[in-house]
Amino acid sequence: MGMMSGKLGILKKILTSLPRQSKPSLITTVWSQDSPSQLKNYSLQNPRLVLFSFQNLKFLTLFDFDSHIVLISSFICFADMARNYVRFLALILAISICCEAAIFRPISESHRSAALDLFKPIDGSFSSLEETYEALRTFEVLGIGNKLDISASTCPSVVEVLGSSSSNLKTLFYALRNQRILKCALKEEILKGVSSKLKAAVNSASALPDFYHSIGGLVLIKDQTPEANVLLDDAEGVFRSIKALSQSDGRWRYGSNNPESSTYAAGMAFEALAGVISLAPSEIEQAVVATVKNDVVKLFDSIEKYDDGSLYFDEKIVNGHEHQGPIFVTSSVIRGVTAFAAVASGSLKLPGDDMLGLAKFFLGIGIPGNTKDLFNQGFHAIDSIPSSNCPFIDSERPAQGVSVSSVLGYNTPPLTVTLVQASSSSSKSASIIENQELKFDHDSSFHVLDALPKSVDIGKYLFTFEVVLNDSENEKVYATGGKTQVPIFITGVVKIDSPEIAILDSDLGSIETQKKLDLAGENSVTLSANHLQKLRLSFQLSTPSGKAFKPHQAIIKLRHESNVEHVFLVGNSGKQFEIILDFLGLVEKFYYLSGGYDIQLTVGDAVMENSLLKALGHIELDLPEPPEKAARPPAQPVDPYSRYGPKAEISHIFRTPEKRPPQELSLGFLGLILVPFIGFLVGLLTLGVNLKNFPSSAVPAIFAALFHLGIGAVLLLYVLFWLKLDLFMTLKALGLLGIFLIFVGQRILSHLASTSAKLKSGDLMTDFDPAG
Amino acid sequence: MAKKLSIFIAISLVLSLCDAFNLDNPSSRRILVLLDDFAIKSSHSLFFNSLQSRGFDLDFKLADDPKNALQRYGQYLYDGLILFSPSVQRFGGSIDAAAILDFIDSGHDLILAADTSASDLIREIATECGVDYDEDQSSMVIDHTSYAVSETEGDHTLIAADDFIKSEVILGSKKIEAPVLFQGIGHSLNPANSLVLKVLSASPAAYSANPNSKLAQPPSLTGSSISLVSVLQARNNARVMISGSLSMFSNRFFRSSAQKAGSSTKHQKSGNEQFFTELSKWIFHERGHLKAVNVRHHKSGEVEEPGMYRINDDLEYSVEIFEWSGTSWEPYVANDVQVQFYMMSPYVLKTLSTDGKGLYSTAFKVPDVYGVFQFKVEYQRLGYTTLSLSKQIPVRPFRHNEYERFITAAFPYYGASFSM
Repeated sequence: MGMMSGKLGILKKILTSLPRQSKPSLITTVWSQDSPSQLKNYSLQNPRLVLFSFQNLKFLTLFDFDSHIVLISSFICFADMARNYVRFLALILAISICCEAAIFRPISESHRSAALDLFKPIDGSFSSLEETYEALRTFEVLGIGNKLDISASTCPSVVEVLGSSSSNLKTLFYALRNQRILKCALKEEILKGVSSKLKAAVNSASALPDFYHSIGGLVLIKDQTPEANVLLDDAEGVFRSIKALSQSDGRWRYGSNNPESSTYAAGMAFEALAGVISLAPSEIEQAVVATVKNDVVKLFDSIEKYDDGSLYFDEKIVNGHEHQGPIFVTSSVIRGVTAFAAVASGSLKLPGDDMLGLAKFFLGIGIPGNTKDLFNQGFHAIDSIPSSNCPFIDSERPAQGVSVSSVLGYNTPPLTVTLVQASSSSSKSASIIENQELKFDHDSSFHVLDALPKSVDIGKYLFTFEVVLNDSENEKVYATGGKTQVPIFITGVVKIDSPEIAILDSDLGSIETQKKLDLAGENSVTLSANHLQKLRLSFQLSTPSGKAFKPHQAIIKLRHESNVEHVFLVGNSGKQFEIILDFLGLVEKFYYLSGGYDIQLTVGDAVMENSLLKALGHIELDLPEPPEKAARPPAQPVDPYSRYGPKAEISHIFRTPEKRPPQELSLGFLGLILVPFIGFLVGLLTLGVNLKNFPSSAVPAIFAALFHLGIGAVLLLYVLFWLKLDLFMTLKALGLLGIFLIFVGQRILSHLASTSAKLKSGDLMTDFDPAG
Repeated sequence: MAKKLSIFIAISLVLSLCDAFNLDNPSSRRILVLLDDFAIKSSHSLFFNSLQSRGFDLDFKLADDPKNALQRYGQYLYDGLILFSPSVQRFGGSIDAAAILDFIDSGHDLILAADTSASDLIREIATECGVDYDEDQSSMVIDHTSYAVSETEGDHTLIAADDFIKSEVILGSKKIEAPVLFQGIGHSLNPANSLVLKVLSASPAAYSANPNSKLAQPPSLTGSSISLVSVLQARNNARVMISGSLSMFSNRFFRSSAQKAGSSTKHQKSGNEQFFTELSKWIFHERGHLKAVNVRHHKSGEVEEPGMYRINDDLEYSVEIFEWSGTSWEPYVANDVQVQFYMMSPYVLKTLSTDGKGLYSTAFKVPDVYGVFQFKVEYQRLGYTTLSLSKQIPVRPFRHNEYERFITAAFPYYGASFSM
């Protein structure tokens, strides 16, 4: 015991020190949903922890004494003394435990957080009383009832519904259910009124839901106020009229005029019948009760099964609109059967395996996502347990177990856990442990395996546990499920020795270059080889106890610059692992791709704690040129990041304009060219203009001036034509100017002609010189 | 009369429901969910709830339900399809692999989750989408260096993957801190298909093999070429997500804590929920769906859009781009939208500048080559829908009177002719 308490001391140390654990590598696996401090609570309240201890190593495993065990966590710690000299001998064994294909997890913190997520009251209340009840009940089941404080907002509506005379049966029923949990302040008269109303409803009811709601309501009143008169006068008659709706296969009809039978209705009927029995003033006739028990057994014949062994009920006829899903139906049946079993005299024999299958079904759902499912999952869980006649316990739910024992005062019965067998799963040979009983420690509620034999090496093992109840009376109450096989991985550090890489000459086998590798650190070997040489990689692997170890993954990978990869398995003989790559035989496989190859070694196994992926270095291969018919290397996927980037901008290159002389040069030459013209004008000015012949009288002078202006305008028009006007505008303007010029020209010419005629007829003919 | 009217309304409602991603009314979309078993509806309900809370109308059916149909009277009944039925050998009703591929070809979205039990039918659909599952039926992705620390899984098939695609549009702007838990089969991408992308890749040490038997030959898939989750965006912008694990969508994985082997940080919640919420937003076009409106171009200094440009004109081009956010069209902001002035090959390729409110504009000079050009915006970015705009515009040379009228170099000649 002293040794035991020492272990527990260490264990407690681990548990309490977890939050500030600075070396998490010491803990192979940690509780998945809860923080370690919560784990501590569980471990102390739940007799579901198993502590394995082996030499100086202690293994703690949350363990379930039921079959289909949920192993929640495992810890490793090694004693201080051991740490000093065991460290590099790789004796660090850890235990991690794995269930079979299907894993059934208990109700846990994730359910609680899901419930808190899903049931969110809007403005402090839910939309209906039914939803309110589902929320309250789920929170109660999950042990977080105090997190939902809606009594202030819900109680008025509960009281209102109960007091109102027009409420229908279903609303009354849910109001009473809420009342049970919320315990609103309520006058006795109201309950009395409700109970008489419900009684009247029972007597007049013909459909199953009416029976269900009214009887359920009466039972709730009976539970809350024992003094209320809720006993049914004609219990036997009611019982028979409900029974009349049953079908030959154990299912029920909703009403006498509804021919469809339903499994869901069967659950309702069982619950209603249980209510009738508890409300009956005298005992119901045994024969009638027995027929109902028969119905239950028949109903269980229609149970459906999943591959993983979980069982469920479902409606046979799937009507799109009415289909409620297996959770809903199964939950209803379980509720009904457990309620019935609780009140019916004589035991109801149901196979324990069925119960375990149903439990698996609910746990297999995982975390339901909608409120109805969560409600049904949780509802079933709690409702089935208090009924002690039901041969069923939800021991797969540690959290659940806690609430059972605290709320309803049920203690887990004393039991024995035996490790029947532990054998290596790979070799079918002898088992390492046989028939060892685990010690139960009352302080911590652990089942403890004192010592693992020294022959246990790392590897995958199959542990077979058996749970036996100490008290045979309890076997009527609890199902244990017989033997359970649990695959267990015992992990450790594998020792890697003498890793080296070498280039060999093909024909002689002589070593050209050889390099030692350090698989714990960084390597960057640079090698070069041609197709006539070989690459040899070798290393040794051994388990902590010095035996040969063959990992699942021992792969060498050569990756060319163009991302073409080649993967080879490294074979072994005993401890020695060696691979020889003869490049001559591999040139075709390598697609004749010369160039740099990266070498990568991967060694890994599930039980190997130091699985590694190492880049060893680089080899420069010089392979022959590919022949014409050689296979092309496969296309490699395009890197998506480069494929989608923006493109480089393009701007157009415009034609360069022709080269022209500088402006100054042109202007200079323009000046030079204008020089003679300017000289001409200057000469003209110095010579003087003879205007003697210009008409001197007013009218002809005007015409002469207009004529000259017209000529000037035509010249100006020419300039404009050259500068900007087009031909049409020029011709138009020229036409107008021409008419004007013809007119004024004719006038001035006729004037000149008359003047010259006067001179001819006169004496001074020579006086007129038109040339000026 | 009222009856006729109501029939007409009903028909038009049906018609409006059946389109693929509808630019005018992209909300209220219907999704068909095909399951192997109705239990998945509950065990994966967090994923379904996140879709429903975003306004999707999910229609759950068993995969072998004989009433299953994707279309009726030539109209599609759904806008998206979720195949959570890895083991189905044959779909019920009128659905088969060809019908699903037609569904994608008409622009609809698909989420496909396989598992170790993936049937040939599921593999065929995946292959058509450019994804090849490991041919070995019993293989799983194993990773001895970056597995998820777990109390119940000892064979390192539960992987904590954190090699995500670097794309904010696909996985959202918030970084996924926690690793994503994966347990299932790996797949590789068909290198010939350039549209399919690895969203979640395995670590370099991963390999695909049967965990319960010894390796007889090198694994067909190794390292980070193993894809765990891939997406495909087809040329018609239909989006497809392919995953090798159905359980990674489950409530259990969504709510589970995650710790990668060798890492000291333990995340209270795995990254699965964030990963799939964000990825499903992308799949169902709530992110990364672009539209371009108001494509305008004109000569600089003018407002009217001309029918033709002359070479060497200065022009301004603008386009407005918006992104669908799930509820409304938001301005799309990026600095890599490019316009091409294109005739046989781009003559001008210019990056547009943005005002941050969705308007992209630039100005450039028309090249001195005449012909029929196009303004082209070919916007292809990782995760975004492809924008492909083109607008034809002719470019003419100078008219006879548009050349330079007076050349300085000719001034001596002008002077000569006038002074003669």
